[in-house]
Amino acid sequence: MIELLSGIKNTSAALEAERTRLDVIAQNIANAHTTRDVDGQPYQRRVVVFENQLQNAMGAGATDGSDLPAMQVASIQRDPRPPLQVYDPGNPAADGKGMVSMPNINIHEEMADMISASRTFEANLAVVKNARSMAMQTLAIGRH
Amino acid sequence: MSPLNAIPSYSAGFTQPIAPLPNNDVSDIPSQLPSATSVGASDFSSMLGKFVSEVNTQQLNASQQVGALQSGANVPLHQAVISMEEASVSFQMMVEVRNRLLESYQEIMRMQV
Repeated sequence: MIELLSGIKNTSAALEAERTRLDVIAQNIANAHTTRDVDGQPYQRRVVVFENQLQNAMGAGATDGSDLPAMQVASIQRDPRPPLQVYDPGNPAADGKGMVSMPNINIHEEMADMISASRTFEANLAVVKNARSMAMQTLAIGRH
Repeated sequence: MSPLNAIPSYSAGFTQPIAPLPNNDVSDIPSQLPSATSVGASDFSSMLGKFVSEVNTQQLNASQQVGALQSGANVPLHQAVISMEEASVSFQMMVEVRNRLLESYQEIMRMQV
C-alpha cells in the first residue's frame, strides 16, 4: 500500500476509540436513572480504558513513523464508586427505609467527559485535514 | 575551469575541428549506459502499471466502504471518509505523475535537432 497520508492509521484508530468513548458516555447518560441493570443491581457507570497497541515490536526503533503503535480501546470497565442513596419511598426499588440505590452517575461529569471526547475527536479530524493538505501541497511542488 | 573551456572547440574560438571524444570507442557507449531500451522500459512500465493498479485498488476500497456504509453495514463514518481521502490523494498523485511525464515528453519533442 502506498502511504500518502502520514500517520493516518493512528488517527483513524484514535477516532474509532473516541467514538467508542462517546458511545459509552451516551450509554451512561441514558442509564442515569436505571435502578436495575442486567444483574439486577443499579446501573454502574462504565469507563473506557485506552491502551497503546503494539503493532510491530520489531519495528519499535523505526524513525519513519510507519510503525508507531496505534491506540485502541482496551476494555470497558465499571466505575467502582458506590451507588447514590436517594430517599424516594414511592419508587418500587425502595428498601424498607424508603432509600433507593441510584446509579453512581453524575450528569455534569458525563457532560464534561463528552466535551473532552468530542474535542479530542475534533483534534484528530484536524490531524487528518492537515495530513491531507500536506500531501496536496507536496504534490504541488514545482507546479507553476 | 569553466565547463565551456573544457571543450576544445570553444576555447580555440571555433577554429579547430571538434575533437573526438576521449573515449574513441563510440560503439560501446550504449552498453555503458543502463540499458534503457529493454530492461529499463519494462521495469518502468511495470512500475507505472503497479502504481495505477494500486490507485485503482484504493478507489475500489473507498467505493466499497462507502457502499457498505450506505447499505447500513457497521462501517465507521470516519473510516469511509478517510479511505475516500486516501483514494483522492493517490489519484491526484497519479495525475501529477502523468502531467510530469507528458511535460518531459513535450520538452523532448520541442528539442532542436
